[in-house]
Amino acid sequence: MTSVLAGIGHYGLWLREFIGATARHGMPKGQMMAEAFKIGIKSLPILLIISGFVGTNLALQGYNAFKPLGGQRLVGMFVALAGVRELAPIIAAAMIAAKAGTEMASQIGVMKIREQIDALEVMAVNPLAYLIAPRLVGILLMLPALTTLAIFTMLTTAYMVSVHQLGLSGHEFLQFAEEAIQPIDFFYGAVKAVIFGAIICTISCYFGFNCGKGPEGVGQATNRAVVTSSVICIVLNYFVSELLYGGAL
Amino acid sequence: MIELRNVSKSFGGKEILRDLSLSTPKGKTTAIVGPSGTGKSVTLKHIVGLLRPDSGQVLCFGTDMATAPEHELYAVRRRFGMLFQDGALFDSMSVGDNIAFPLIHHAPEMTAKQRRERVLEKLKAVGLEDKYDATTSSLSGGQRKRVGLARAIVMEPEVVLFDEPNSGLDPITSDEIDELIGKMKVELGITFIIISHDIVGTINVADHIAMLYGGDLIAFEPTDKFVRLDHPIVKKFLKRNLILPTGPNEVARLPSVE
Repeated sequence: MTSVLAGIGHYGLWLREFIGATARHGMPKGQMMAEAFKIGIKSLPILLIISGFVGTNLALQGYNAFKPLGGQRLVGMFVALAGVRELAPIIAAAMIAAKAGTEMASQIGVMKIREQIDALEVMAVNPLAYLIAPRLVGILLMLPALTTLAIFTMLTTAYMVSVHQLGLSGHEFLQFAEEAIQPIDFFYGAVKAVIFGAIICTISCYFGFNCGKGPEGVGQATNRAVVTSSVICIVLNYFVSELLYGGAL
Repeated sequence: MIELRNVSKSFGGKEILRDLSLSTPKGKTTAIVGPSGTGKSVTLKHIVGLLRPDSGQVLCFGTDMATAPEHELYAVRRRFGMLFQDGALFDSMSVGDNIAFPLIHHAPEMTAKQRRERVLEKLKAVGLEDKYDATTSSLSGGQRKRVGLARAIVMEPEVVLFDEPNSGLDPITSDEIDELIGKMKVELGITFIIISHDIVGTINVADHIAMLYGGDLIAFEPTDKFVRLDHPIVKKFLKRNLILPTGPNEVARLPSVE
């Protein structure tokens, strides 16, 4: 427990140092869009596959749950609520943590053990501002977009399974889905994405910057980055939902 | 120009530097030698402000690197160039972009054409003018050091620091790097500080040699005087260094020193 608290404290101090460094030195030009493109393109295929199949399973399980009660028409509502409000943001975050987060931790970890971060310092370039700020902006731009794509992919595959496999009415599916979710839900999804993105990026970079010696140190840093950021996102998802939706949960 | 005054540094209760005082002469090449683990790299990291001493002062161009705020540290560092052990080249960039990196950040007034010309000039100086577009992964160990040196001198610094320039190189490549350092010393006429366990190469290029042993500075003399010192540890180091490796990753060399 003491080591966890010490770790949180160390992360907090490091975060403050990063924010201060970025405020003093600004962000390197031209890298932000490159990072956003890299994060988006690399994570997109796996995100589409996973969110697509989560949508199919939501439809199947919703159908199985509601059918005994005669409420299979509610599948659209169930998919929309669970998918839009909860699963799409957290799945997009988990995918970004697994793809982009691990890459950040390992890249920065390798830079550290190969003295490239020291080289930046000696060349009077602040490594925190140079390495993290563009990655953070890139992830903050891309994760809401990826979350929105995940939502539409889930809804599309759930619709296809509901209509073509389960024999439900497409009109009813869309009608109940529309009644269940509002435009504000998409905005809330983006809010969650921004929070998760900031957590994934800063935690992954933190572990990269503080990795141990040698390849083993990089491996451990990468592992800790993905585990820690995924767990924090999942736990935080509950509290953010509670805050955004309150009793309507 | 660079002066360490009573610098002490410990890690985890282990004292690495003990009350170290050292002043490097301007425009000369000073080598800091000693067996592995005696604080050579720690000394170098203090000079560039990557480490701060537990006590004492590290004065570079009149700035105390131990207490200077970041903007002063960075101002001093712009007057330094440094060759890291493995070159510390950025893997995501080409050779040309690696060398141009300090120019992009600290010489925004230069046009892309001027930058390219400067980079090619420095690549030529280190004998790699055909490697501008090469990837860093395609370079050999010696070439990485050469590119690292080109990057270290691209801003035309007043001081160049070398961290174990021969580390990890075969004897022939090691000699080539020593020759390159000697050539640079003559051509640039600036201050070089070399950290090395390799006394053979050091003797050939250094004007002064300082020897660290167990965290203490046990000798700091002009090279010709250093090699004749009647100091038991210096003599032992000189003798052993000619025969045996001094660290686990270092290649045993059979030198042809005079």
